[in-house]
Amino acid sequence: MTTLTTTPDGGASTRRRVPAPASAGRRPPRQGGTVLAVPALAWYLVFMLGPMVAIFVIAALHWPGMLQPVSFAGFGNVRTVLHDPTFWDAVSNTAIQLAVAIPVMIVCAYMLGYYVAQRPPGHRVIRYLLFIPGLISTPAKAMVFYAALSPDGLLNGALKDVGLGSLTDAWLASPSTALACLIALDVWGGIGFTAVLFAARLSSVPDELGEAAQLDGVGHWRMMWKIHFPVIRDYVGVVTMLQFLWTLFGSAQHVLLLTQGGPGTSSTTLSFLVYQKAFIASDLGYSQTVGVFLFLTGLVGLLVIRRVFRQTY
Amino acid sequence: MKFGKRWLPAHILVWAYAVLLVVPLYYFLASAFKSNDDIFAHPFAPPKSLGLHNFTTSYDTAHLGLAVVNSGLVTLFSLALTLLLAVPAAFALARSTGRAAGVIEKVFSLGFLIPTFAALFPTFLLAAATGLFHTRTFMVLFLPATALPLSVVVLVQFMRTIPPEMEEAARLDGASTFTVLRHIYTPMCLPGIATVLLLNFLTFWNEYLYSLVIIGPDPAQRTVQVALPTLQSVTGTDYGVLTAGTVLTLVPVWVVYTVLQKRMQQALVSGAVKM
Repeated sequence: MTTLTTTPDGGASTRRRVPAPASAGRRPPRQGGTVLAVPALAWYLVFMLGPMVAIFVIAALHWPGMLQPVSFAGFGNVRTVLHDPTFWDAVSNTAIQLAVAIPVMIVCAYMLGYYVAQRPPGHRVIRYLLFIPGLISTPAKAMVFYAALSPDGLLNGALKDVGLGSLTDAWLASPSTALACLIALDVWGGIGFTAVLFAARLSSVPDELGEAAQLDGVGHWRMMWKIHFPVIRDYVGVVTMLQFLWTLFGSAQHVLLLTQGGPGTSSTTLSFLVYQKAFIASDLGYSQTVGVFLFLTGLVGLLVIRRVFRQTY
Repeated sequence: MKFGKRWLPAHILVWAYAVLLVVPLYYFLASAFKSNDDIFAHPFAPPKSLGLHNFTTSYDTAHLGLAVVNSGLVTLFSLALTLLLAVPAAFALARSTGRAAGVIEKVFSLGFLIPTFAALFPTFLLAAATGLFHTRTFMVLFLPATALPLSVVVLVQFMRTIPPEMEEAARLDGASTFTVLRHIYTPMCLPGIATVLLLNFLTFWNEYLYSLVIIGPDPAQRTVQVALPTLQSVTGTDYGVLTAGTVLTLVPVWVVYTVLQKRMQQALVSGAVKM
């Protein structure tokens, strides 16, 4: 994934291609040792690519539980999955989650990153705080949201205190708000850390660029979107890809910890459906078929994002 | 005036978000020292006393002490194994000019497309097949594999900045490939190794899903991230205990972050970017 290595110091990687003049004419003595990559590669094949391949194999099997007989199903699982309303609920929940969380997160994080990169008063404190969500584990984040959103939690308490007691709700247990809570958790944690990434990249944009524009009387709003954004466009693409993959593949841990996909299917996302079918409903072929679907979604999303954010100058 | 009146809305929004980040944490820290009645009656008031009652309760009911030790062991051994695998691999890739290196790097980057939840079941089968299901050992073997792509990429970047003349000089003195790795490359890319260690310390310590399924609920084996959510069901709605437990699990990360703040931030930024 070459796009993922765009860093300010990325130029270093091309240096090796030029042979050292001292060793011209004879074979450079620093060959050898490629074999040292073998253990890591073997490890990676066994623990990462092995399970990856297994996803595709199991997707073609009829396997109704760990100790049940296994038979070949071909595309049978695909048919079952496509005719299951739960699957389509999960598709729509995932689509909503991605469509809301990613744009909100990236746009807010970019503006916040720009703000921090201008070094306003107190920017050091802000920077320290923005890292918080990056440090806290998923279960701890879930506990924070559990304490905040449970019926007698922080949010309802605050609502009562300001006289809006009628607005209180069992946020995580109500079909209309469960998914929204999970999206809020993604966004809450995502903005801070993503903003730091943008701030780091923006601070390496040459100052002259901003100064020249400022002399021309360009306001910060236009500066942010018309001048700085195009410069780090491909970087924004890389970060968007990361957040896209994390939201698609990883954020179902929040579902597991907070709502278990419920009530009903109101907060079941595709990744959670994979878990539920494998470990609760024991329909392994179904589970891994959804896994294949997830992989393809990730791949297509990656290619689309890469195309959208391609450097245009 | 660089930050004039027109910046006011921006200041307000940014600090509002900062408050959103801090308030839940403050609420957690304060609640950890309060009783349930206190929490509901005055959620934002500072605690009246600094009794450690909630901490000891959560520590005892979820066996957090054991869990912290387990997490520490898994993290420590996984970090060691990661370095043992990633440093030689990065060394090989950084010095290699052939096509094989490019292919290997591509294979590694495929890792980012593996759906975590979908690979969980095949990994579970692997654990069962190797007889390591419900053990910490499997996690120690497994976690480095998940960390390899990123670790190798970061280390390769650092190793490519080491001038080849260093190695040529050593070779003239008769140094073997292994000596070159040990006495030239490893010492010279210590900052890279520090980055990899910090980054993976966070991921390993915070890992939840695979530990939950593979190590399982046995208090003698489970890690702190698996033990933490059990407080939710064990204590019901005793928020004081729940928050105290959460605070306990955050302490190691917090200490490392505060001591190594600059370094940690750099590690997180470079890690995320090079992914």
